[in-house]
Amino acid sequence: MNHGRSWLALVALLALVAVAAGPATAQTRFVFSNESPYDTLDPHAAFDVGRVAVRLNLYDGLYRWLDNPPKLEPWLAESSTVSPDGLTYTFNLRHGAKFHDGTEITAEDVRYSAERILAMKKGAAALLATMLGPGGTKALDRYTVQFTLIKPAAIFLAVVPEIHVVNSALVKKNEKDGDWGAAWLTNNEAGSGSYRLTRYDPAIGFVATRFVSHFMPWGPKYIDEIDFRFVKEDNTRVLGMIKGDYQGTGGYLPNDQVKRLREAPNVKIVEQESMRIMIFQINNQRAPLNDVHVRRAISYAFDYDGFDKEILGGTVERNPVPIPNNMWGVPRDVKGYSYNLDKAKQELGLAQAKIDRPLTVGFLQGFSQTEQAATVMANGLRKIGIDTKLTSEVWPAMVERMKKPETSPDLVVYWISTYYADPNNWIGEMFHSGQWGTFKASSFYKNPKVDDLLDTALKSTDRQVRDKAYQEAARIVVNDAAGVWIYNTKYFGPWAKNIEGIRFSPIGNGQEVRWLHY
Amino acid sequence: MRLMALAVRRLLWFVPTLVGLLVVTFVISRVVPADPVALVAGETATPAQVAALRHELGYDRSLPVQFVDYLVRLARGDMGVSLFTRRPIVDDLAHRLPATIELTVVAMIVSVALGIPLGVLSALWRNSLLDHVLRVVTVSGLAIASFWLGIMLQLLFAMRLGWTPLNGRLAGYPPRDLTGFYLLDAVLTWDWSTFGAALQHLALPAATLAFPALATLVRFTRAGVLDVMQSNFVLYERAMGLPPPLIVWKYILRSALTSTVTQVGLLFGILLAGAVVTEAVFDWPGIGTYAVSSILRSDYNAVMGFTVWAGAIFIVVNLLVDLAHTLVDPRERQT
Amino acid sequence: MSAAWFVLRRLGRDRSALIGLALIAVLVLSAVLAPLLATHPDDVFELHPSERLRAPSATHWLGTDRMGADVYSRLLFGARITILIGLIAVGASLAIGVPIGLVAGYHHGWASDGLMRVSDIFLAVPQVVLAIAIAQTLGPSLPNVILALSVTYWPWFARVVYAETRALQKEVFVESTTALGASPWRLTVLHVLPNIASPIIVRASIGMGFTILTAAALGFLGLGPPPPTPEWGRTIAESREFLPDAWWYAAAPGLAIFLTVMGFNLLGDGLRDVLDPRLRRSPSRDA
Repeated sequence: MNHGRSWLALVALLALVAVAAGPATAQTRFVFSNESPYDTLDPHAAFDVGRVAVRLNLYDGLYRWLDNPPKLEPWLAESSTVSPDGLTYTFNLRHGAKFHDGTEITAEDVRYSAERILAMKKGAAALLATMLGPGGTKALDRYTVQFTLIKPAAIFLAVVPEIHVVNSALVKKNEKDGDWGAAWLTNNEAGSGSYRLTRYDPAIGFVATRFVSHFMPWGPKYIDEIDFRFVKEDNTRVLGMIKGDYQGTGGYLPNDQVKRLREAPNVKIVEQESMRIMIFQINNQRAPLNDVHVRRAISYAFDYDGFDKEILGGTVERNPVPIPNNMWGVPRDVKGYSYNLDKAKQELGLAQAKIDRPLTVGFLQGFSQTEQAATVMANGLRKIGIDTKLTSEVWPAMVERMKKPETSPDLVVYWISTYYADPNNWIGEMFHSGQWGTFKASSFYKNPKVDDLLDTALKSTDRQVRDKAYQEAARIVVNDAAGVWIYNTKYFGPWAKNIEGIRFSPIGNGQEVRWLHY
Repeated sequence: MRLMALAVRRLLWFVPTLVGLLVVTFVISRVVPADPVALVAGETATPAQVAALRHELGYDRSLPVQFVDYLVRLARGDMGVSLFTRRPIVDDLAHRLPATIELTVVAMIVSVALGIPLGVLSALWRNSLLDHVLRVVTVSGLAIASFWLGIMLQLLFAMRLGWTPLNGRLAGYPPRDLTGFYLLDAVLTWDWSTFGAALQHLALPAATLAFPALATLVRFTRAGVLDVMQSNFVLYERAMGLPPPLIVWKYILRSALTSTVTQVGLLFGILLAGAVVTEAVFDWPGIGTYAVSSILRSDYNAVMGFTVWAGAIFIVVNLLVDLAHTLVDPRERQT
Repeated sequence: MSAAWFVLRRLGRDRSALIGLALIAVLVLSAVLAPLLATHPDDVFELHPSERLRAPSATHWLGTDRMGADVYSRLLFGARITILIGLIAVGASLAIGVPIGLVAGYHHGWASDGLMRVSDIFLAVPQVVLAIAIAQTLGPSLPNVILALSVTYWPWFARVVYAETRALQKEVFVESTTALGASPWRLTVLHVLPNIASPIIVRASIGMGFTILTAAALGFLGLGPPPPTPEWGRTIAESREFLPDAWWYAAAPGLAIFLTVMGFNLLGDGLRDVLDPRLRRSPSRDA
């Protein structure tokens, strides 16, 4: 009966428990529920807003878009210069920035990353490939990278943030059969970002902990652990926010759900003007839509107010031009089209083309707003005597169809988000005839005058010249009724009430956790 | 002996039937208008890149060649790689199978544990209030759209009352992966909070899935018990003065159980078919949602893989049920 | 004719079968008289965005949906689609399945086995999954849903007919008729068919309920007729994002499906009790 020894054991056990429990309670966590699955961690395989949390938190780029209106801030690079002919961009990297495994970030890593994107042909590759070719990136010395473009491109700097820098040594070590490490990087990370990966399941999401030696200084308060989860159903995310299971979720919820969240005591809604326009693409190449009067009639047949104000409860802004209202390059005096059935019928009367078949209207499976927009359009067209056939696809399948004028529906409704903050992201990629075959250009519009204007805007680095060019291009395109432009999204971000430091930009959508704290 | 002959004959047909199923599925999956290779290449890929990927994946060969190649690989146990997850289908299926099995087993336990006793009681207390109520339930059980039932249960228990979560198998990361069954793994790792959470998540989908199965079980158990109760040997036993509870226990229950066993095949069919729609409603990460999303994404290999698996299981189960049925019903032995 | 009278009289005594018949009658009347019975017949395609998601009231008996259309009126027109799908799909399955079952049942040997194994193929995958695959391949539309359902349901008819034909072959009258030199077709048409009519009718009635449920599931998944078609399953899917507040939006179409399918099931049960007392004794496989 040695009581002494059992007491010692008990004390030791308690101490153990205290040590184990101690730091855990001091750790702050942030859980975010996302509407798209994080099916890959490879920053060069995805380019979309749905999976932006991976790129923003686990990786770094030379520059980064921050805040609203979005500003391009130096990130891994301290500064950059452009040659007068606009073909050579030189970036100076900061010294001492480290990857998660402790090795320093050098120009070679940047070079490797740029080549990797082009080689893998995914994500931002198609966009980048129009400006930069393989071999066009050189590491001049340990901290200097130089890009030599194929042709001058004013948007290069805007797109540079998408060159996420990967740890070239680490990735090369895990390459298999020349796949540039694709198989490995899908489930692992090789980054330098503010958070380092601790756990990943493609069906659930990823968990990451704070990277203390990140080159950007940390404030006095921060989040220790981030947990990004895929939660498909709107209702589940909303309920989870209300119950406190999640501290953040996507800010493009239906209006009815936003209302519910406003009423929840522990949730706050951060309202911001975003840059994400909802549009109907019209297939300009297919009869009878190749007749401008038919297209104008369609533009007059959509009940903009009914949709924006009633169905969406006034949470969006009418955006009559194919550039978001809050971006530069918008001709402010252009009012665009309104819901006017008389004018629509008038235009139909002027049309040469005969409408002898139902028009196909495509919407996206799983996005009920597109379904509702399609229904509103169908209703308006019916009122002016045009029959419609609604068809739906999942987004990847619809993207597929939109690549060719023969397979693309007559009208398709979807959104165009901010991949980079420049009018070219919208009007440039939507209406330049050289863009046919990309999902943004399913208007299949061809107008040499507009092509010229858009090319001028791309070549020049003078903001004023570019502004004028985009404005004129927009005027022509609106007059040609090359599409129907419905609204610009407002961001209504649900956040836990005690979260501070939220920095929203239309590209990152506030999912950069390094700025947040309780 | 007849039984053996029947079994052998059916087994011989197993492979051709499975191959036939594969042909049907293969044709269906390749007839899709959408091009999954292009879907995988991504929204920013050019036609040239898509063509290159198609060649790399072998989809530019002729259909018969592709089919034979698939069969050959299947014989080696290789179901190919999912176009979307880029993981072997076998892995994907194995990963998702436990979720469906756990749900189906729990639903089966619930329906059997409730169904058989209720069926027996319903027969013993014929035309009582309980019997009438149960008969309404059994008729409804097969008339309610299970996806609607699921939604209504969600509406009441998750949204209005807040007693259960809305959907999903678990919020967050699962317990350590020992068997893949969350309930079991949670118990084995002594993780009781996760056990409770997993049970809560199981409640509504299992109830939704169990309801039609329950209805069927009650109905057939009741019919079986009624049959036995009217049979001669039971009347004889009662005339001999055996106490009623003993009769119930010894003869009626056993006969009821026997007839119910042959219903297991039917039950299994109901549960598996119901699982697909129920999983869709509750966002359950099982085989059902895998099948549906693979079809919607035109993921050829995944669709084929699912069909092979489901088909093989169904054919085997059908065979077993037919054999059992033959054992039970002498009439059938002659066909 | 006297046989039919006999059946109807026996049926008339079965209370639940009568309830089933009544429900079916309500469905048919709703469908046929929809334009008359609807309070807002235009709402099949008309939108009133400013009146969306109103609770049931005197003007809108079952409230309004997300576009402001009257739920009750759209429900009535949805009945048309439901009946159409059920009748054509079951009819087509019957037309395919019965001949196959007859041929397989009449012959013996590998050919017959083969036909039954083909039907096994279609039964091997859950019917819902097969229907989804077909509907997705061909594109969501009303004709494609009907096609998908016909292709997946015929095996049930084939099996029933096969089993009955085989059983009948043992019957004396068949043997004697064959001995007397009747040709196979004469035999089939004059003697076999009338005897298997009962199980076919029962199967058809139950099949209606089953088919309607699967059609609703397809509509729910978005694979049925496209908007603005007021198909019941699609309406339920539309309503989900507005729960729990607009509960009537989800409850009404679900109840409609429930009552319809219940009607066919009750009728089917009643018919089975009347037409084939043999089947009542042993629990047989069916769905």
